[in-house]
Amino acid sequence: MREEIRQIQALMEGAAYITDPAISTAVHLATTLRKPLLVEGHAGVGKTEIAKVLARVRGTNLIRLQCYEGLDASTALYEWNYPKQILRIRLEERDERSVSDKEADIFSEAFLLKRPLLQAITQAERAPVLLIDEIDRADVEFESFLLEVLSDFQVTVPEIGTITAAHRPDVVLTSNRSRDLSDALRRRCLYLWIDYPSFEKEVRILRTKVPGLNERLAGQIARVMQNFRRRQLQKVPGVAESLDWGAALVALHADHLDAELVRETLGCVLKEVDDVKRIEADLAAGRLSELLEG
Amino acid sequence: MTVSAAPRPRDLLTGTVRFCRLLRARGLAITPSESYDAVRALEVVDLGDRAEVHRALRTVLATRPEEFLVFDATFDAFWGGLATAPAPPGEMAAPDAPQVNAHFPRAKDAALDFSGWTDVGEGEGEPVGLPGVSDLDSTMGKDFSSFGAADLSEVERLAAQIARRLATRRSRRLKPSRRRGRVDLRRTVRLSLTRGELIDLARRERKIQKTKLVIFCDVSGSMDLYSRLLLQFLYAMQNNLGRMETFVFSTRLHRITEDLRHASYRGALARLGDVRDWSGGTKIGESLRAFNAGWPKLLDRDTVVIVLSDGWDTGEPAVLAEALRTMRRRAGKLIWLNPLLGSPDYQPLTQGMQAALPEVDAFLPAHNLESFRALARHLKP
Repeated sequence: MREEIRQIQALMEGAAYITDPAISTAVHLATTLRKPLLVEGHAGVGKTEIAKVLARVRGTNLIRLQCYEGLDASTALYEWNYPKQILRIRLEERDERSVSDKEADIFSEAFLLKRPLLQAITQAERAPVLLIDEIDRADVEFESFLLEVLSDFQVTVPEIGTITAAHRPDVVLTSNRSRDLSDALRRRCLYLWIDYPSFEKEVRILRTKVPGLNERLAGQIARVMQNFRRRQLQKVPGVAESLDWGAALVALHADHLDAELVRETLGCVLKEVDDVKRIEADLAAGRLSELLEG
Repeated sequence: MTVSAAPRPRDLLTGTVRFCRLLRARGLAITPSESYDAVRALEVVDLGDRAEVHRALRTVLATRPEEFLVFDATFDAFWGGLATAPAPPGEMAAPDAPQVNAHFPRAKDAALDFSGWTDVGEGEGEPVGLPGVSDLDSTMGKDFSSFGAADLSEVERLAAQIARRLATRRSRRLKPSRRRGRVDLRRTVRLSLTRGELIDLARRERKIQKTKLVIFCDVSGSMDLYSRLLLQFLYAMQNNLGRMETFVFSTRLHRITEDLRHASYRGALARLGDVRDWSGGTKIGESLRAFNAGWPKLLDRDTVVIVLSDGWDTGEPAVLAEALRTMRRRAGKLIWLNPLLGSPDYQPLTQGMQAALPEVDAFLPAHNLESFRALARHLKP
């Protein structure tokens, strides 16, 4: 294994993120080749975490752009502070200056509201990590716009001029695969698929992130989660749910699982009523042991 | 397993380029730009660690998990150090679906005959007349299989109504407007600069989102009773709604969008008569898969896909499930309309229907006009 990748792995684990060679390699390539990294996977497997850990590891700012349907350029890039501008126009009404002078005044940096993408480009000290979260929720028009920004890291604000990034950010995009992303965006990025963790990995994650969780309980939780994911549930629980459950059990001072405890705390793991009913039926029929076996 | 010695630079470059070309031949979208990135990636990894090389190349060259299988197989074949040259393109195409025997009992397997469709009304025993208010209510609930001439005009009217509603959905994006909608501060400020006084409030309103429809209609023997009316409905929709594509399938898929664009229904039917191959068992899964392969760009988030079928599939259920999954991922919504759902004791027990159910967003009846009106509600966001 390449030394740099080994180092990245060590650094990420040091920041309490249980990684694997695939993730470390992808992060290494993204930072070395200076390409954006597209991370896809089911909900709650740790996609967003990668960006956060990367920022922590490099000691740099994390700038987050949360995507949603209808997100457009102005909300992502910049917007003028209209109320402030209108007030200034009002105040200067009787001022004798020319229109172009007034215009230069109110269209200056003091009236510019920088949104995440522009923030990412105007970091003075060092390259930030730009997290574009849940890009699958935005629409195709936004993806095209994003591609333009990601190719040059250059933004033209007509009233001010062209702003070029002094330090190109490291870009991480996440997607829940709710919709297909455009091919153009996929080709532009390196691709990382994060699957649900294996049993061993999940145990490690639980023991690292939930202090006070003993080995036996961690193993039981992981075992149950693995079994849940093999079922045809409406909403498959991810690692986030495992961690919630672990924390809940620690708070209840539990040291092993029994049917009663599982039933009480099921809401930490299953969020759809049909799923809850199915598992409760299983527990009532005495099938806890099945859930606990590998 | 590690390779004993790292390959020499020139070999690596040519090898990588050839590997990329092989991947492209096997269906992965790889441009020279990606090949270049692949070479750069190999420069920063440990070439003696085969697993690492595999991971690195996959990160650069694969763009979705569905490609992993092909990628892994190609990687093993290519970099495994085999003496044989890589297989020529075309040989690694997905294996053909196995020959399937029709196991399902079929009520009617006869080929469709369009010529009888245009003779509407004669000898059917239905009075030809204008539907009044009371007639309308009964028409809405009447099953398609017993439709007569008078009801056809109702089908047209309803289709036009649905099409119009579809064409005017509002999206969340905003566009400039004169009188309606939210205040657009940006334009307001600009306008007021020249006057120093806020006189005009510029506004933004929600853009009209034009939905696209892609419809797949099963025209095999078992759907005979309904196909006639459904095609009438599709004809009316097609001519009212600009963005719609219509496909029919039985054993194979046919695009009939252009055929439906005709001044009269009779004319459209005449054109459809030229389309052969209506006989035989239905291959829903195969047809949909053919669509995914043949028209990959047709579906996007603004598209609603409708499959009109009773679910009698003589193909592999897994193929159908996979095809539906792919379509649902690409499109905004996937709806399955089943005329059999009109009958209260219908249970979707066939393998085809069971495979399809979890993969669709909505499963609705399609046996009378009322069900089509209900459909209109589902077509809204």
